[in-house]
Amino acid sequence: MLEWLRFILTAGLLISGLIILITAVIGVYKFDYVLNRMHAAAMGDTLGLLFCLLGLTVSAPDLATALKLLLIICFLWVASPVSSHLIARLEVTINPRWQQLPPTPGKDEKEEEDSP
Amino acid sequence: MSKRRSDWAQRPQARFLRWMREGYGALDDEIISAVAQPAAQRPDAEALEEHDRLIGTHRHEREMALDRLANYDLQRWANTRGRKALTRLYVLLALLLGASLIYFLLDTVAYMPRFGQVAVPTNNEVIARYIEKGLEETGAINIVAGMILDYRAFDTLGESTVLFVAACAVLILLRIDLDDQGQPMQQLIAEGSDDRHYEPKNDRILQGSAMVLTPIILLFGIYVLFNGHLGPGGGFSGGAILSSGLILYLNAFGFQKAGRFFTYKIFMWVSFFSLGFYGVAKAYSFYMGANGLNSGIPLGTPGAILSSGLIMPLNIAVGLVVACTMYIFYALFRKGGL
Repeated sequence: MLEWLRFILTAGLLISGLIILITAVIGVYKFDYVLNRMHAAAMGDTLGLLFCLLGLTVSAPDLATALKLLLIICFLWVASPVSSHLIARLEVTINPRWQQLPPTPGKDEKEEEDSP
Repeated sequence: MSKRRSDWAQRPQARFLRWMREGYGALDDEIISAVAQPAAQRPDAEALEEHDRLIGTHRHEREMALDRLANYDLQRWANTRGRKALTRLYVLLALLLGASLIYFLLDTVAYMPRFGQVAVPTNNEVIARYIEKGLEETGAINIVAGMILDYRAFDTLGESTVLFVAACAVLILLRIDLDDQGQPMQQLIAEGSDDRHYEPKNDRILQGSAMVLTPIILLFGIYVLFNGHLGPGGGFSGGAILSSGLILYLNAFGFQKAGRFFTYKIFMWVSFFSLGFYGVAKAYSFYMGANGLNSGIPLGTPGAILSSGLIMPLNIAVGLVVACTMYIFYALFRKGGL
């Protein structure tokens, strides 16, 4: 009974993760604008991988493996939103369309030159 | 002695030798006549210098004109009919090369034993030997590490050297030289074409996450390096993880802070010592008939980091080379220097 419950939970989590990943891939190829594509890719990177890894965690044979998978989830949830943030910031910096907006208050007053 | 040396240059022998060495051409005539002509007043040093300079430029222009003349026919041919002919020749040569390559490879494959047959030597002897005697002969529990660092160590040495040479070549190509004042030359040349100032700098979110992630990545890289002889891992993967951690730090905190602990000098010394240690250890092994250095490190035992003979130090050497090379690649492509 418990095995069946575990299997069903794993399958459901994996399938939902895969659906989200497929959506993300379609979005990356369908959208035209950088920020839309970034949103799609970031969704796959975080939510899709979260569901997949949670499914694997549920079906993990022992506690150590499950903890390692949870650690990987933490790592990915720190890493991929930051990369999306960097892409978005680069786009906002170089696209003249966003230059016309009023400056955001409290936006990096001490912007230093770090490299010559 | 000094007296002899002082008038040596004026002597006939010396002049003869100079004439033999440097030759005597029309240019000397020009200079001599030019110096001798204005006998009315003694030319001052500036006028002489100016004259020398003019002669120099004239000679340069004359040589350039001669060059152009010599190249004119060839260039015209290369621009009109030659281009077609050369293009055809290149296509022909490429086809020939490809066809011969295909032929020779297929020919070689035809002589090879069929894949997967039981009677093939690779299927019984080598694998059995690796599995049965691997631990005893190389000391590594991880047979893959034993293979790439002992049985096929020469191959790995070549790979590390290729990485190092590639880093040096990229360094030569992409490094931005400093001019006399210590300023990067390229910045003076192309101030406007530089797009690096668009990149986000001092991003607080990136810095915060890098502060969390960099130590973990570096720790994991060190774990993979130090665990290569006991489990999955090894020099190449560990080095790649280490360098990714370094690159993350570089991205978050900029070149100035990263340059405090990773300079060009450190790159050179680390690569040199790693490759040197690897080369010495393996050269000894080849020379002594596959008997490794007597390191005093016992055979591999699961869970014991300090075991498996020389596999772990070799792994660390390879990993350091890989990490340095990847990091310097990134730094060079991004900025053209460290």
